[in-house]
Amino acid sequence: MMTSLYRITVIGRNTLTEAVRQKVLSVLLIFALVLVGSSVLVSEIAGGLDASSLFEQQIKFVKDFGCGAIGLFGFAIALLSTAQLIPQELHNRTIYTILAKPVRRSEFLLGKFFGIVLLLALCVALMSLAFAAALYWQEQLGLAAVDAADTQIPNWQQNPTLVSQYHNDVAQIYQQVRDPQLIEAILLLFMKLVMTTGIALLISTFASSSIFTIVTTFMIYLIGHMESTAREFWLARGAEMSIWQSGLVGFISLLIPDMNSFTIVDEILAGNHVPWSHALNLLGYANAYLIVLLAVSIIIFDYREL
Amino acid sequence: MNATLPLRQRLRRALLLAAILGLWAPFKILWEQEIGREQDFLRYHGTVMTRQLRDDLGQGLTIGVLSGMRNVVADLIFVVNVTIAWENEEWFRMGSYINLCTVLQPRAPVFWDVGGWQLAWNASVAAAHDPRQPNELRRIKASRFWVDKGLDVYKRGIENNPNYWRLWADTGLLYQQRLKDYRNAAYYYQKASELPNAPVFYERFPAIMYEDAGDDQAAYAAWKALWLRLTPEQKEKKEHWKEKIKASIRRLEQKLSIPKEKRVFPN
Repeated sequence: MMTSLYRITVIGRNTLTEAVRQKVLSVLLIFALVLVGSSVLVSEIAGGLDASSLFEQQIKFVKDFGCGAIGLFGFAIALLSTAQLIPQELHNRTIYTILAKPVRRSEFLLGKFFGIVLLLALCVALMSLAFAAALYWQEQLGLAAVDAADTQIPNWQQNPTLVSQYHNDVAQIYQQVRDPQLIEAILLLFMKLVMTTGIALLISTFASSSIFTIVTTFMIYLIGHMESTAREFWLARGAEMSIWQSGLVGFISLLIPDMNSFTIVDEILAGNHVPWSHALNLLGYANAYLIVLLAVSIIIFDYREL
Repeated sequence: MNATLPLRQRLRRALLLAAILGLWAPFKILWEQEIGREQDFLRYHGTVMTRQLRDDLGQGLTIGVLSGMRNVVADLIFVVNVTIAWENEEWFRMGSYINLCTVLQPRAPVFWDVGGWQLAWNASVAAAHDPRQPNELRRIKASRFWVDKGLDVYKRGIENNPNYWRLWADTGLLYQQRLKDYRNAAYYYQKASELPNAPVFYERFPAIMYEDAGDDQAAYAAWKALWLRLTPEQKEKKEHWKEKIKASIRRLEQKLSIPKEKRVFPN
């Protein structure tokens, strides 16, 4: 058991090292710059509003763009790095050297998977740091705007209404920027990326090229966002449909993961409360789905002729 | 033997896969249904799904494809397209962009708040001073059309975000300043004042609105309720706004000839 874990760890570490060398980090750097720059951009675009609406909109924009970028770049990294895992090993013939040693195919596959998960964790952590920096910057801009708007009247401290307004505006900026629920949002985004990795890994166990894996995973990702609609439709009206329609919608409902449930992150970003119990339920679902994906991947890869 | 082995292996593999997926699939459906129910509650808790909103959300295909990037798309439409339409004074175009943003993100109050303000104030004031329309009556009618559009956005925003005080307060402001409907203004200000994060001065607005509406009885009741809510320590402490409440109550007690024994301030 321990030796098996050790072999998985070694393969995972090597996978991470190889992936890091693929200039993924330079993409991250570009992302960080775009993210930080977006808050300046919005300050210029969203002019003409009153101060309180302006900073609220700006903070929302930075949050949406930050998490959107983490999702988008994370998806690209997960997809591209997973899709070439097995084909590259086959092309370089390194897989034969590894499997000639006392390494099981399942260990090889799990090592590869955890290597990519580590890479994603690293990328998401770096992107989250840039995101936090952008939010902090936006907070400072918001506080400066409130200072400029609320304190321009002479002796404003003597006017209880203005003092109340000022404290209220400052409290709302802190509430929006230092929202602990953002950790929940990042965690859910990360899990969505890990699920994408699991799907890509499954496809790559029987695919003959990276392009096939990328395109198929991308399609499953998109269909996954419509799975909830298909499921509702199938459960409510499945009996009324033709056998072909019912078969197709049923196939989507029974096998494709519900990616749309992760859009609950939008609620968090809009400032609405999403309890941790719900996030944990969603994470539990994603983990269970991953176990199934890995089990199916291992079975297919075990029987694959290399 | 060797020739039958791959077939047996393939069969074994197929059976294994079918067993795993067969066991997982019903469990998956039930779990997803439960998550879906929880999310419906979190997304639409305490609100009524309007027919309009339901129709809009029926465009599931587009929204589904945009999922994950839906909020970014909504933000871009809002800060780019709405702003350009506003600058070009293309009010109908601006209205449809605002509608699109609110459909994409109904639980983002800022779209409703700023969208309502754009229509009820900017579009309406521009229509009232439209140099291409010489007929004053038509200008007034057009102006009122945009006020109603803005009011509709605010009200739909409140349906979707009932705990966001600013939407209630801005609806109150619209009733007060654009429609001169002080009773409705009082209602919306009252609601705003009861919500978390609302500035405390909104507590006094309903009473002021009732006075503006000429309903002295309601104004007196509102001032009195406000005063009676204060603790004895709060009443002791001298503050500018409390003096205003006291003065208003005294003035209305005189005006309404409230019997001495029923007055808050008999002396």
